[in-house]
Amino acid sequence: MIYLTDGTKEGFLTAFLLAYRDGEALIASSQTQLSLGQRAVFVAPDPVRAKKAEQRLLEFDKNCMEELFYLLRSGRPDREQIAFRYFRLLAESKRPVRGMLAEDGVRDAAELIRTVTQEIHRMHGFVRFMESASGALYAPLLPDNDIVDLLVPHFRARLREYPFVLHDVKRKKAAVYDGENVFLAPLERAEVALSADEQGWRELWRRYYRSVNIPERERLKQMKGYMPVRYWKFMPEFSSPDDPVAP
Amino acid sequence: MIDERRLKILTEGAKYDVSCSSSGSKRKNTGGIGNGYVAGCCHSFTPDGRCISLLKILMSNDCAYNCKYCPNRLGADVPRVSATPEEIAELTIDFYKRNYIEGLFLSSAVEKSPNYTMERLVRTVKLLRTQYRFHGYIHLKGIPRADGELVREAAKYADRMSYNIEFPSERSLKLLAPQKSKESLLLPMKKLAEDSLLFREEKRKGLFLPAGQTTQMIVGASPETDGQIVRLTQSLYRAMGLKRVYYSSYVPVVHDSLLPDLPVGQLREHRLYQADWLLRFYGFTAEEIAPENENLPLDLDPKCAWALRNMQYFPVEVNRAPLEVLLRVPGIGGRSAQKILEARKYTKLNFEHLKKMRVVLKRARHFITANGKFYGAETVTAVRGALTAGEQMQNAVQLSLFSDPQTALSALTGEL
Repeated sequence: MIYLTDGTKEGFLTAFLLAYRDGEALIASSQTQLSLGQRAVFVAPDPVRAKKAEQRLLEFDKNCMEELFYLLRSGRPDREQIAFRYFRLLAESKRPVRGMLAEDGVRDAAELIRTVTQEIHRMHGFVRFMESASGALYAPLLPDNDIVDLLVPHFRARLREYPFVLHDVKRKKAAVYDGENVFLAPLERAEVALSADEQGWRELWRRYYRSVNIPERERLKQMKGYMPVRYWKFMPEFSSPDDPVAP
Repeated sequence: MIDERRLKILTEGAKYDVSCSSSGSKRKNTGGIGNGYVAGCCHSFTPDGRCISLLKILMSNDCAYNCKYCPNRLGADVPRVSATPEEIAELTIDFYKRNYIEGLFLSSAVEKSPNYTMERLVRTVKLLRTQYRFHGYIHLKGIPRADGELVREAAKYADRMSYNIEFPSERSLKLLAPQKSKESLLLPMKKLAEDSLLFREEKRKGLFLPAGQTTQMIVGASPETDGQIVRLTQSLYRAMGLKRVYYSSYVPVVHDSLLPDLPVGQLREHRLYQADWLLRFYGFTAEEIAPENENLPLDLDPKCAWALRNMQYFPVEVNRAPLEVLLRVPGIGGRSAQKILEARKYTKLNFEHLKKMRVVLKRARHFITANGKFYGAETVTAVRGALTAGEQMQNAVQLSLFSDPQTALSALTGEL
């Protein structure tokens, strides 16, 4: 049986309670494509059941909800299933299992969490703001995982006097800091009127990027390992993703 | 706004400085812009594979010194430009605001005099910290022979400072950088280390070089061996409390009869960094890593080389060996060692487990047993053969990647 959830934590925990005694069970969020012949049931989030499941799990491991939080932020379609295997092991063992790295379920969960937290760290560096005519900063981005709001605390602490918008172009939503408060909002497309100097600073950055490179030591493979090409799209140092060294 | 021409010249003059780290500072944003990022943060990567964290730039390339290896030396025929403290501060803020950079790494040629130059560097950081209220990362280069008071003033505003010791021996320094001396580089480093310690002991207000000091030396322009370089590195960590020692392989931008015409292979630089990690994170001493008058082998990483000289300690059983022993196994790094310690609490680990945990076994399998099983080569000669075979393949790949004359030459002559 496949238990389909709405993708939320509550939905997952509700499904978990139903699924965990069923050895054949799978949990997925409803966006998943089902193959023919699979039996599926949609599980609506139930606050009471979810709370019950959460309390039981916290008795076994008081830190496990943080792990669930990051797992469900993953952009991988099998994130609920990976979380399910991890939490089922926890429920069976009745004690923290995160150190049991010889278990596939633990390792898969640990690796998925790492891809999410690693992308948050990477985005702290790879986000590029443009300055709008009003002085607010705007950054479009295409993260693999659903993390745009998780980037806010970093930039808010750093840019505290500058309002900014972090726009997840793929998921069509934005985290907005207005100089005081933070909120999440759906955002399809943004029209940004740039400040008078914006183009000039971009040109200087491009000049800097080209000047600081040592062309005799080209190591593109290493470069792309550290900074995958899919992140280049909104970086002003590249005119096009295929041409990292355009003059 | 600084113009593109000067930005280009001042960047190209600074780019051979290796240090790019922005780690170690917890400076808070107390109003204004910016803060420290303890783990450090890379903002971009250039096609040479290096990270851009800081805006690395010279205040001026107009140098009164005549260091033989330097493209900006007094006698060189190059365009001379300078930037003003205001221009550098504005550039830093506007790059930082857009999240291009994590902070500033400011260096300079010795313009007019050491004090004149140091004063301008100090003026720039003060401007950034007080007027622009910038709390992001600042790494400042120390100018040799500048006044002690100026240096101390700089340290109040910078997160990190560095004096480049340039060469691994006094003799080479005298020969190739005649206006610098061992004292002009080591004394201010020592003074800063002492002041820093005093500052922390007295728990004074404010910050004093929260990210400490680093240094850099050029490798391959002078005759010192890796054994000597590793010993010097160790003493710099121990006596000066440095956070990092950087190496830069010599690139001949200048022709001089005292300097080699060929660049040093990056493989040598790579081996030195591996040795440096063994010193800092793996509990090795310089004496264990390389005999004083020898270079590190190029065909083996320094941990493999040490292990092959010390086969009496191996194999070790991964289910029992303590952390410090696991860390000495070739191929096992800090993360793998931690994973092993954690996982073995729950079950007896076998090779299948290790493989799934992504412990790299290519080298390690010759030096470990897992649950009593051993899958390595039987004799030291066979182990050496297996380890160098892998490395040679890698070097062949590196050759096409780097197109580096030294490696190319050694490959042609079969001398690896």
